[in-house]
Amino acid sequence: MELRGVVKILDQSYKVGDVVKAKIIVIHKMDTGFTKDKESGKQFPRFYMKEITATYNGVIVAHFDLDVATSQNPVIQFPLKVTAPGTLVVDFVNSEDEKGQKTVAITPAG
Amino acid sequence: MERRSFIKGTFALATIGLLNPILFRHGLSAAEDAIEIPYKDALDEYLRGKKVEDGSKIMSLNIPDAPENGAVVPVEVTVDYPMKADDYISNITVLTTKNKANKAISFDLTPANGMAYLYVNVKMGQTQDVVILAQTNKGRIFQSSKNVRVALGGCG
Repeated sequence: MELRGVVKILDQSYKVGDVVKAKIIVIHKMDTGFTKDKESGKQFPRFYMKEITATYNGVIVAHFDLDVATSQNPVIQFPLKVTAPGTLVVDFVNSEDEKGQKTVAITPAG
Repeated sequence: MERRSFIKGTFALATIGLLNPILFRHGLSAAEDAIEIPYKDALDEYLRGKKVEDGSKIMSLNIPDAPENGAVVPVEVTVDYPMKADDYISNITVLTTKNKANKAISFDLTPANGMAYLYVNVKMGQTQDVVILAQTNKGRIFQSSKNVRVALGGCG
């Protein structure tokens, strides 16, 4: 199953040379492996979002290694310097090696 | 990426070897899943013998003193460091001190980011410190921390 996520540029309008902030939200559990099911008493296995990679026009600009202390449905913001119009491609990989991908267009004004 | 495989390997061994009582209590599969990462181990593994400089002057942290819910604690950090092509912040790591697993996130940057900034949501089981480590590409490590009071813990 493809992982669900959202990627967007937070700034409304920006020019070439500006530093914008990009926001990533991934809809995913972050089970630490310590919590137990209240009814059955079984431990939930360790299951979490492992890696997020952002690629801007073919160059990796941000790489995140996540671990279980990140909250459920992780929200991440990171800066990005706009150099040219293009696309920001974000790849997600979880601990079971399931993958997801989201793309956002970068369209600087003027 | 290699850091991850390293920590997985060592802690899997340590869990099976040292925490035998847990193994008997919960059975094998549970012991494999519950990988504890004490703060000291997470820190030592990040530093690898390098010394830490006080980064409280160049880092501005925006973390609530007492968040409503420990399951979602917003951590926002800006490192005031010039992102030149040959001297820049190459990694920002967020650790907690008293969770069972204390590694939250590790962010690798390049000068293409333009500034050193990170926002992330962290889980906290109890009142503790958030420790932020920023490393430059030349190996200097800056540290800054903030105590956060958590009333309602998010299963950490």
